[in-house]
Amino acid sequence: MSITIKNLSKSYGDQVIYENFNLVLEKNKITGILGPSGSGKSTLLNLCCGLTNPDKGTIEGVNFQSISYIFQEPRLLPWRTVRENLRFVMKQKAIKKPGLDEDRINGMLQLVGLETVGEFYPQELSGGMRQRVSIARAFLYPSELLLMDEPFSSLDCALKNKLMDDFLEIWKNDQRTVVFVSHNRDEIERLSQVILTFSDKPVKILDREENLIDRPRMVCPIDPD
Amino acid sequence: MKISTALENNQNKWPKKIITKVGITLFWVLLWALAARWVNSPLVLPSPLKTLEGVFTLAGDFEFFVSIAATLLRVFGGVFISVLLGLVLGLAGGLNELFYEIMNPFVTTIKSLPVVSVIILINLWIASGLVPLVVTFLICFPVTWTNVVQGVRSTDNRLLEMAKVYNVTMTQKIRDIYIPSVKPFAVSAIMNAIGLGWKVTVTAEVLANALPSMGMNLYYSKIYLETDLLFSWTLIIVVCSFIIEKATLHFIKRTKRGGTDQCQLP
Repeated sequence: MSITIKNLSKSYGDQVIYENFNLVLEKNKITGILGPSGSGKSTLLNLCCGLTNPDKGTIEGVNFQSISYIFQEPRLLPWRTVRENLRFVMKQKAIKKPGLDEDRINGMLQLVGLETVGEFYPQELSGGMRQRVSIARAFLYPSELLLMDEPFSSLDCALKNKLMDDFLEIWKNDQRTVVFVSHNRDEIERLSQVILTFSDKPVKILDREENLIDRPRMVCPIDPD
Repeated sequence: MKISTALENNQNKWPKKIITKVGITLFWVLLWALAARWVNSPLVLPSPLKTLEGVFTLAGDFEFFVSIAATLLRVFGGVFISVLLGLVLGLAGGLNELFYEIMNPFVTTIKSLPVVSVIILINLWIASGLVPLVVTFLICFPVTWTNVVQGVRSTDNRLLEMAKVYNVTMTQKIRDIYIPSVKPFAVSAIMNAIGLGWKVTVTAEVLANALPSMGMNLYYSKIYLETDLLFSWTLIIVVCSFIIEKATLHFIKRTKRGGTDQCQLP
């Protein structure tokens, strides 16, 4: 089932972010949302997952118990190891046999190339590794909708490419509805199947395009050397 | 060429650190000895040697150890109850605004009351031996409670948002987010409560005539004009307080897990 946003309105004080906003997000597709910084892209994600309540309007087709979120910063518990951070979100929807959970954690750690750092604490990892843990956490949680708020923005080019490849690899095997917001067109083009361009506040959809460029798509120019 | 590691550097610094500390202590003891010599009256200011002699004299009596044990029990009892209740009620106060509003007038009143008033009031209601324990609890509880509430309120909101999205239960949020966030505040509260607990317990022992106690021994030394013993008891209290503070700090450091860098120990 697709996600339908109907007549959504949201303001912060005098600032109108959304006014009678409508949008349909297609099921099991990656929808990329482009727009200038501060235009309300993150607000849309927060409205979708219930972190922010709309002033008016409805979001249909979203099960609030079944959402994953890859934030701009990894938001890992600094006092828990990588493995414990992953376990933290799995307890809610735990499969009855604990061994199976561990198998899934091990599998996911392997998929994101972190199998050797399961017992490390977040502060012992690099920024890219932390964001990988955050991606692993999002996919381990059995969600129908995955929200991504510029998770690659703080990473260098090579790491960004690698992480996006890893993300697509995992997504291909475990397809979910993804909403990915960024102000970087290259990032959006690399990952998304549908690209929406948002205007500044109050948000209007300026453009909607199907992304037909073949993969692999590169975010940064390839170094000839 | 030898590459010096951080560990080696730390090991090399240890003897220097100890020598410095011993040197500083000796400097103050020397100053005390000089002052005692200048005053030249053990009744007003006994010398360090006379004070130490007093400690040995006291240690020869079984009653001495009973007094120390009784005072320690009161300090620990009062501090333990205040820390335990401070943690539980502070957590509740930090999480629930209404509960905070209910507790706040009580805590503010206790905080603003002079210790002596609390001691005299409590002495009216309960047995002398228990007064120091109850007073210590009443004085230390606001410290713990306030710190824990502050700790809960300074919890990283981004982690709470993450937990909300992933549908984490309140119990798990308390265990995995709030308690680790509160830990540095709780450690600081425990250290403050121990320091405060000693002073309050001994004061309450004197004013409530609690027996057996270190406080009453201090008082008897004063009324019998045994200034050297008064100094000896004071020295014992200072040493006990120092040992307990260091032992608590050591215990907290040992229980601190590898990744909990959030916990800043003093």
